[in-house]
Amino acid sequence: MFTQNKCIVLHCRNNALSTFDEMGNLTEKESYCLDHIPNPGKLKEDIYKYIESHDTIVGLNASGLVFENLDLSNKKFFGCNFSHCTFTNVHSQNIRIKMCIFDFSLFNNCNLIQSNIIFTSFSGSTFTHTLFTESNLIQNGFNGIKAFQSCFDGSDLYNSRFIQAMLVDTSFQDCNIKKVLFYDAKRQNVSFKYANTREAVFSQKGSALALGEDPDEDLNNSTTDGVVL
Amino acid sequence: MKVYFHLNVAGFSNCYLVVNEETKEAIVVDPGEITEELISQIEENFLTLSGILVTHNHGSHVDGIKTLRKIYSPEIFAADWEVAKNQTTVINGDGKIKVAHLNVHYMAIPGHTSDSVVYKIENLLFTGDVLFAGSLGSTNSSYSKFILQSNINQKIYSQQDGLVLMPGHGPPITLEAAKLYCSTFK
Repeated sequence: MFTQNKCIVLHCRNNALSTFDEMGNLTEKESYCLDHIPNPGKLKEDIYKYIESHDTIVGLNASGLVFENLDLSNKKFFGCNFSHCTFTNVHSQNIRIKMCIFDFSLFNNCNLIQSNIIFTSFSGSTFTHTLFTESNLIQNGFNGIKAFQSCFDGSDLYNSRFIQAMLVDTSFQDCNIKKVLFYDAKRQNVSFKYANTREAVFSQKGSALALGEDPDEDLNNSTTDGVVL
Repeated sequence: MKVYFHLNVAGFSNCYLVVNEETKEAIVVDPGEITEELISQIEENFLTLSGILVTHNHGSHVDGIKTLRKIYSPEIFAADWEVAKNQTTVINGDGKIKVAHLNVHYMAIPGHTSDSVVYKIENLLFTGDVLFAGSLGSTNSSYSKFILQSNINQKIYSQQDGLVLMPGHGPPITLEAAKLYCSTFK
């Protein structure tokens, strides 16, 4: 899991991509990153084919690849590395992801409804028009994400983290946000309607009311926090 | 090497089962609670539990050791002798050990507790309560916080970016992202 071999080109700090044997199975051979691989087209093709032909994918390293117009419904990903990837028009229902890394990836027009995503990191990723509606998103890292017109409605985000995230026109309606950390998150037109905002942590200092500060001051960066408006 | 994640519901801490597939040996990191699932994973895969790595002596990270010792005979590595009394292999400072035929690098990073240790196995860093995804471990004084921050700077942030941090609580994160998004590190 998380096989993150470095590219074998001297001084290259990128992660090497997964390689396959003649039977099409994953190997742990030393390899090149996307920038240095001699025949990138073939390896990309192999990775796409592997994902398409397997329902359970364990320990795949596809960092830096572009995924477009895919249907990943009912697939299971465990211990995979998709950091610095681009996902466009990826649609799925009931996708299961556990212990995967999607750091610094781009999600554009993706539909990941009713997903089950646990113990996964999306830190530094950008989500545009991406839907996680009615998903189980327990203990995931969304630190530093940028989310535009995205939707987490009806999801269980228990113990996830949105530290230093930028959330614009994004909705968390009817979500379980118990123990979710929103420290230093910038929010613009974010809706938490029917979500248990009292159980989430928005500031490291503690509640503005408990500290005797003006509670409205903390909410000035958001127009629809809580059930106001 | 394969890693399995287990959530200890009692203390909301993370426990990891690290498996060396070639030798069929396993290591448990921070056994805060022993579940049927964890035992099944060891038994059904015919694994030998070779070692237990303890990041620090807090209940949510060590309470399962008693149970594991009743079933297996693992070597217990910790910086605090109290963890398993005479059964503890006490480690100090920084160094390297071999457990389950895997190279395990350990680094003492006091601050959250005086016995806090992080373990590096291949490209995974088990940070315990030293560093979480987006925040530092809690400390009880500004001096402890200073010590913790300077140790993290020297020993963790100096590592290669491909490292994945597996904390004692909360989600994982890559080192690259951890450096960028740490709310208490300004």
